[in-house]
Amino acid sequence: MDDRVGIATTVDAPPSEGKPSGGRPQGGLGSTAVARILTLPGQVVSIVVLVVPLMVALYMSFTDWSPTRSSLLDAQFVGFDNYSDLLIWDTRFVYAVVRTLLISAVCLSLEFVLGLGLAVLFLREFRGKSLLFSAFLTPMMILPVVVGYTFWMLFQSNGPVNQILEFFLGSQATLEWFRRAPLAILAVIITEVWHWTPLFFLILLSGLNSVPENPVRAAVILGANPRQVFWRVVMPMIKPVIIVAFVIRSMEIIKLFDEVYMLTRGGPGSSTETISLYIYKLAFNDFQLAYGAAAAFIVLVGSLALVHLLLAPVRDQLLEGGR
Amino acid sequence: MHAKKLSFPLAVVMGAALVLVLFPVFWIAMTSIKPPIDWNASPAIWLPSEPTLINFQTLFNPDAIREYGVGGVSQAATKSVIGSVLASVVSTALSVLIGLFSAIGITRYGSGSKATPLIILSGRMFPPAAIAVPFVIIFSNVGLTDSYTGIIAIYVAATLPFSTWMLKSFVEDLPREIEEAAMIDGRSRLAAHLTVTIPLIRGGLFATTLFIFILNWSEFMFALVLSYSNVSTIPVQLAKYVTATAGTLYGVQAALAVLAMVPLILAGYLIQSHLARGMTFGAIKK
Repeated sequence: MDDRVGIATTVDAPPSEGKPSGGRPQGGLGSTAVARILTLPGQVVSIVVLVVPLMVALYMSFTDWSPTRSSLLDAQFVGFDNYSDLLIWDTRFVYAVVRTLLISAVCLSLEFVLGLGLAVLFLREFRGKSLLFSAFLTPMMILPVVVGYTFWMLFQSNGPVNQILEFFLGSQATLEWFRRAPLAILAVIITEVWHWTPLFFLILLSGLNSVPENPVRAAVILGANPRQVFWRVVMPMIKPVIIVAFVIRSMEIIKLFDEVYMLTRGGPGSSTETISLYIYKLAFNDFQLAYGAAAAFIVLVGSLALVHLLLAPVRDQLLEGGR
Repeated sequence: MHAKKLSFPLAVVMGAALVLVLFPVFWIAMTSIKPPIDWNASPAIWLPSEPTLINFQTLFNPDAIREYGVGGVSQAATKSVIGSVLASVVSTALSVLIGLFSAIGITRYGSGSKATPLIILSGRMFPPAAIAVPFVIIFSNVGLTDSYTGIIAIYVAATLPFSTWMLKSFVEDLPREIEEAAMIDGRSRLAAHLTVTIPLIRGGLFATTLFIFILNWSEFMFALVLSYSNVSTIPVQLAKYVTATAGTLYGVQAALAVLAMVPLILAGYLIQSHLARGMTFGAIKK
């Protein structure tokens, strides 16, 4: 079977040439030449625009370079100083990492639960289903910047969220969402969950729809109640799909920037600062480019390890069950 | 299964979910047609007292709002709209074209190195703020700072993994025998791919194109740090409006947000059956 998951698995082995059924082309270029022509542009772009900058950033992270110096090549080589400073002395960085991980964990759990609940509702047929399906996908189509801006409006102290709270709880419910750290973090979480629950809903529904009927029927015949059927038969079958959803979302939420930039700019103080926001401020407000690059590599290694761990239990299943 | 009504409790759950999902969209749409008097009212006004398109006019003619006795819109959004269209359309076309070639190469010839997925994964997981750092340095050395060429190069690189793998999943759905039949007929390999493979994955190409467009149109950070005066995109302009006029020009800001949002929602509905495929790099084909 060819691999169903482009991410985190290696590229397919080349098809064996010269199979009896394989048509031999009569003219033109050989297969190797054609393969080269086809993949060259992509490789060139990836190397020029991805690998080279990564290398520059890696080199930079071992120097003390900043834009006030003449060129990157004149920078002082400082070994792992940037890295040790970040991990040992820079509490703001450590807090940003922990905060991002906590926000991610809370958001992904909520998105998963809500997405799964909605997906289960959508397993039955009902009137207006396709219209509702489209409606529920709407948030994930909206630009992160616009989502951030919209929720910034909603959470204003004279905005509709407080109005609704006051209506139900009285005037003591006027909350200063962006002046108090816990509320600001809550605002970020609500925004993220609203924006991305549809993706979990979409992926999980697709997984649930692909569960074959026979094992489910067999379980019912053997006397399993609906709850047992769901948790013991259906859920294990869609495990690969669940993991794909988590991996894709983890990769994105670790980089959380746009929504927070529009909502709080990391404030109040630095209480909603995510990793990306901190690196952005380091590089583009304080011009500590080398230091920021080191921070980014710590994050990269950490997130690769995280995804690796997440994928480990299902790597083989993904090849079969990612449909 | 024939469609029937939901039972009452389920209908209530569904209705509540629908309200939660649509309320923010409703709010920004309403704000974009509110006259200035409604913008910052306390308590907030849900429906415009007098619906108006003045906010949208103001985006392209900053003086239009003055008839309401409001100033303060310093910049037209015209340049950012043009910039967004230019950057998104060009980089989408390039990304899909290069991705299509790579997809055929990888699927049919197993080319691409073993390290490719790791490199691409690394690229996707590296904090964009930090990818922007080396770009700022490299661009300033080759004169690409504040230019559309630079922005487009980054957008193509950033979306290439998506376009490659999404298209790869469409090519995989196509039986190899169809191309081989064309080759037996005496067509060269390349000709077979161009004349047989590509027309057969038309639908997939269309979906991928719109999906990549959504990604490019939404991009914010690279445009933010790599644009100064020549280059602008809608998300950057929206951030500028909010910074410059915090909490005073809701209507105009909301109008720009709606302008940014509408094309994507339309594109998203058009390709909703392929969204999962795009988001999961072709892992989920439904």
